[in-house]
Amino acid sequence: MKNLGIIRILYHAGKFLLSILVLSVFVFTISRLAPGDPLYAYYGERLEKMGTAEQEQARARLGLDEPIPVQYARWLQGALRGDFGISYQYKTDVKEVIAVRIGNTLLLGGLGFVLIFVLALLLGLFCAWREDRAVDRLICKIGTVTSCIPEFWLSLLLLLVFAVWLGWLPGSGAYSVGKERSLSDRALHLILPLAVVVLGHLWYYAFQVRNRLLEEVRADYVLLARMKGLSGKQVLRRHCLRSAMPSYLSMMAIAFPHILGGTYVVETVFSYPGIGTLAYESARYKDYNLLMVISLLTGIMVTFCSMLAQGINGRIDPRTRGSVTVGRGEADRL
Amino acid sequence: MDVLKVENLSVSFYRPEGEIEAVKNVSFSLREGEILAIMGETGCGKSVLCKSILKLLPDIAKRKAGHIYVRGEEITEYSEKQMQKLRGSFFSMVFQNPMTALHPCMSVGEQITEALRLRQPTLSKRERRQRAVELMELVGLDHPAERAKQYPSQLSGGMAQRCVIAIALAAEPAVLFADEATTALDVTVQAQILELFLELRNRMGMSIVLITHNPGVAALTADRVALMKYGEITGIGDVEEIFEKFGYNQNLISCG
Repeated sequence: MKNLGIIRILYHAGKFLLSILVLSVFVFTISRLAPGDPLYAYYGERLEKMGTAEQEQARARLGLDEPIPVQYARWLQGALRGDFGISYQYKTDVKEVIAVRIGNTLLLGGLGFVLIFVLALLLGLFCAWREDRAVDRLICKIGTVTSCIPEFWLSLLLLLVFAVWLGWLPGSGAYSVGKERSLSDRALHLILPLAVVVLGHLWYYAFQVRNRLLEEVRADYVLLARMKGLSGKQVLRRHCLRSAMPSYLSMMAIAFPHILGGTYVVETVFSYPGIGTLAYESARYKDYNLLMVISLLTGIMVTFCSMLAQGINGRIDPRTRGSVTVGRGEADRL
Repeated sequence: MDVLKVENLSVSFYRPEGEIEAVKNVSFSLREGEILAIMGETGCGKSVLCKSILKLLPDIAKRKAGHIYVRGEEITEYSEKQMQKLRGSFFSMVFQNPMTALHPCMSVGEQITEALRLRQPTLSKRERRQRAVELMELVGLDHPAERAKQYPSQLSGGMAQRCVIAIALAAEPAVLFADEATTALDVTVQAQILELFLELRNRMGMSIVLITHNPGVAALTADRVALMKYGEITGIGDVEEIFEKFGYNQNLISCG
């Protein structure tokens, strides 16, 4: 049994590494086939003053003159040693560029995820409890409308109202200049982007919770619970929620990269210095090395989370545990 | 005094298409320690009758007329709060399909202790767990202490139904409703469960309302039978008397 466990872990790890490798090949090739000149990221305006020979020389120095498979092999060699090259735009190690900014994205995405996780559960629970009453219908309608608004547009709308018209909140960046360490200043800068991230996703998940719970409310075990003397609300909270939880958790595991990905758009609109803006810039300016690492990080996260989601259902849902402990009583069943 | 008395009860479902009369002018009484079978074909209103006594029907169903008495006290106009108290203690119920009646994500022990917690809040956690094991033993489950940790998906239909009965008994009810409690089980298990009902009645002195479509079940277990058809009770009396009067012969009964 123990051996089997190790084999299974190895199998999943192998599958994981293979998907990342395949992803790296794709991103590498596609980014290089797309139009645009990486030298522009490196030299900027100066590029136009350089002669053809000079440009060729620069290209050779960055290793961009070789065929793509050779370039890839060289990149992979470096990557295995932990060397991901330099960013053409920032001219420093890619890892450093990312390290400075990844905290901001994780803060925005992480906070957004936690808020969505909790609020969706509460909202779904509330709507299920008030099923088909006026409140529930109103929330459903508002929710549908908000979740249909594209994030970039919602961002602009909030910017216009709260930053431009009312002037209550800062409109861009993660902190005011000179106040990098002020917690309240950071929090102020987070409010608008966070609001967009949460509003953009919340209803989708709340609606899933609501519908799952409404299915549960109609299940037979609800009657048995009511016969114990529990009220309808107690049954919803203690029994129905519990039964809906495994599928909610695995749904949210898949949702994590999705929500984090949603921050990329928001970051760009709010000029929030996170991975999102970086990804956008690196794709735009053909900052190959930076783009590679960001894509791989994203890929690792997506793959990991979906494997986690698969694992969750099997582990925490006792409904899937049937065949493990048969033993006694099997005769009765047959 | 009758432990439960129903007088002229009528229940209707109000659908957009119109009113559907599910129970029409039904009266019966249940004596202390008696097993009364309510027998009729599917869709005749047996379940609705029993759920309307317990006020567990969906909102579209309404009681049109009638009175319900529990040990002489009228409960017809009881609020939901008052009914909750009654459900956990005076009434209990066993359902048709034990596999769906049990919560799929709770161990059976936990489901029994929950009922105990509601009924006897003063018991400590350990006492409750101990009592749950006792109840499981009472309903004839082997290795109750280990079984208590199992989930419904790990039990057979017969074992699961015994667990549902254990939950019902945790309430120490005066009246137990058994809504087609043996229908989903195979014949041998069916007989075992019915025997269990008889034994529990003799031991604990509770009254049982046995809802069934199966004459065999009624003949084997019940003291009296109420025949139901199209929402009405067409006859009520001792088993032999009713079966003779309505032409259920011995062959039909043994088929069941």
